[in-house]
Amino acid sequence: MTMNKTILAFNLLGLAFSLNAVAQVKGLLQLSAVKGDPQLSWQQGGIGLYRYDTDNDGIVLSQGLLDFRVDLSTSWSAHGVINTYQDPQATLGFSQAYFQYQPLTASNYKWHVRVGAFYPQLSLENPDIGWLSPYNYTNSAINSWVGEEIRTLGVEATIKRPGRSFNSAHSFSFVGASFKGNDPAGTLLSWRGFALHDRQTTLNESIAFAPIASFNTPQLQHQANQVLPFEEVDGRFGYYLGMHWDYLKKSQFRFYYFDNNGDPTALNYATGQYAWDTRFASAAWLYKFTAQTRLIVQAMSGKTAMGKNRGVNNDFYSHFALLSHKTEKHRFSVRYDFFEVTDHDDWAFDPNASHGEGITATWRYQLTPQWQLGIEGSALHSQADNREAMGVAKKLSQQQLSLNVQWRY
Amino acid sequence: MSKLFIATLFIFMMNKSHAVTITINDQNQQPLANAVVWLTATDNTLQALPTDSPFTMTQKERQFTPHILVVPQNAQVEFPNADSIMHHVYSFSSAKSFELKLYREQPQAPIRFEQTGVVELGCNIHDWMLGYIVVVDSPFYGVTNNQGQIELTPDHGEFKFNVWHEGFSDISQTESKTITLSSAAIVYQIGQSIVPRITIGVDEFDDYE
Repeated sequence: MTMNKTILAFNLLGLAFSLNAVAQVKGLLQLSAVKGDPQLSWQQGGIGLYRYDTDNDGIVLSQGLLDFRVDLSTSWSAHGVINTYQDPQATLGFSQAYFQYQPLTASNYKWHVRVGAFYPQLSLENPDIGWLSPYNYTNSAINSWVGEEIRTLGVEATIKRPGRSFNSAHSFSFVGASFKGNDPAGTLLSWRGFALHDRQTTLNESIAFAPIASFNTPQLQHQANQVLPFEEVDGRFGYYLGMHWDYLKKSQFRFYYFDNNGDPTALNYATGQYAWDTRFASAAWLYKFTAQTRLIVQAMSGKTAMGKNRGVNNDFYSHFALLSHKTEKHRFSVRYDFFEVTDHDDWAFDPNASHGEGITATWRYQLTPQWQLGIEGSALHSQADNREAMGVAKKLSQQQLSLNVQWRY
Repeated sequence: MSKLFIATLFIFMMNKSHAVTITINDQNQQPLANAVVWLTATDNTLQALPTDSPFTMTQKERQFTPHILVVPQNAQVEFPNADSIMHHVYSFSSAKSFELKLYREQPQAPIRFEQTGVVELGCNIHDWMLGYIVVVDSPFYGVTNNQGQIELTPDHGEFKFNVWHEGFSDISQTESKTITLSSAAIVYQIGQSIVPRITIGVDEFDDYE
């Protein structure tokens, strides 16, 4: 299976290069020298909320990706992002793979359709290739979670009223999507909580949990000690609706309402995955004070539940504020995150409440168009009620430092 | 050699070309920048100069550069892409309808503009991008500067004076009048109100739509 995917990836890549006349292929490699926190990362089955821990100290390949677009006709194009990671184990896979139909129309209204696996475009933090952030290396709590547990496997249609066509300062887009899969979304928030990282989950990947004590109870005996976030469990369609409002690109606002329409009673015994009834609203706003200085804020509020009687039933909330300033070849970005999960069920043996906040500061230096250097420091403190049962302290303070070199073509 | 010089001098003197400064004002008597001005002969004898080298409309930093390009009829225009991302340039204008997918590494052949008129350019990927190619049947043309001025060097005599601005209510229409060139300065006031064009400033991270 993995072998076939790898072959497929290389075939597509070969196709992309051979059709160079109608293709755009971009790549990025990022090496990081990391000084991780002593607390074992969630990626290694620990409770740490950063991607790295002291076991990773040294040089790691923090990002490796190919982002391609192949024009199939005037209106149809194929898009994909292939990621490679070495943590927690070496992987190669697609994080996005979709077709786009964008007809050339004389109408003042423009529209396009995407079919396949892609992100809902609710983030203003991740506009770089491969859904990376050009600001901080470590994503906000909201978009760390979106990158690991949210992916649309379905159809999305966008209709746009560009300001240009109406000589207006305001542009509007309306987005609607229906999808399968993505039923376990919300699992990580319940048993790990929000985290701060830039490790996107590729399609078909799983994410392991720490040794959660409540998994040994009869009620949760069928839950695997990992989540397969994009799996289809209940056979139902989910949906989301979105709205983008731009004012001269100086102010950009996006609102999304997402509902995976999960049936919380549905369970795949073979993979140990429940369908979670997960819904959230996300509002993001980008404002350029000047061409150099911008503010990005985003807030997300939602609910998730699983089990016959909604035995696990949580609310989640997070917001961040990111200030970024660019001067010549330097970009400085600083971000504050707040995140929280509140437990609303009566399963006292499975406490899910957690909360925390973090601050992340990044300096990037663009050496050439291809080479970029950067340094980032991040600190967070968090509290999670299920840690005590694992024999660790409920409260945790962590720091992570990284030196990064990025090369792109 | 000296014969050639005398012949050239003679032609130059016979030609009686004079620099004429044309000022375009809006209805409020304010100088109007970015107005396209061209002179055609009233008897249609003035032909556009044949052009060998193509004109250039560049895609740079997600905008058309220049915003307005004036070319003589039958000119060829190249569309180089200076950005690292692709553009999908199109026009639905009656003067020239076309589309071009443009990658930086693969320049496309230039396009010939056989018909006079205004060609409005857009990009199907970056929907804020807006540019114009104005195709004129005249060798005497230009775009006014921030002082609303343009200098042309036609012969003295009678001409049809044409002006176009992107703020016209109907951008497929031009304003024209017959003038007789005798002085070195012409002032023309636009006969309609100009709709200010919205310009959208974008940066490298605004691609993500």
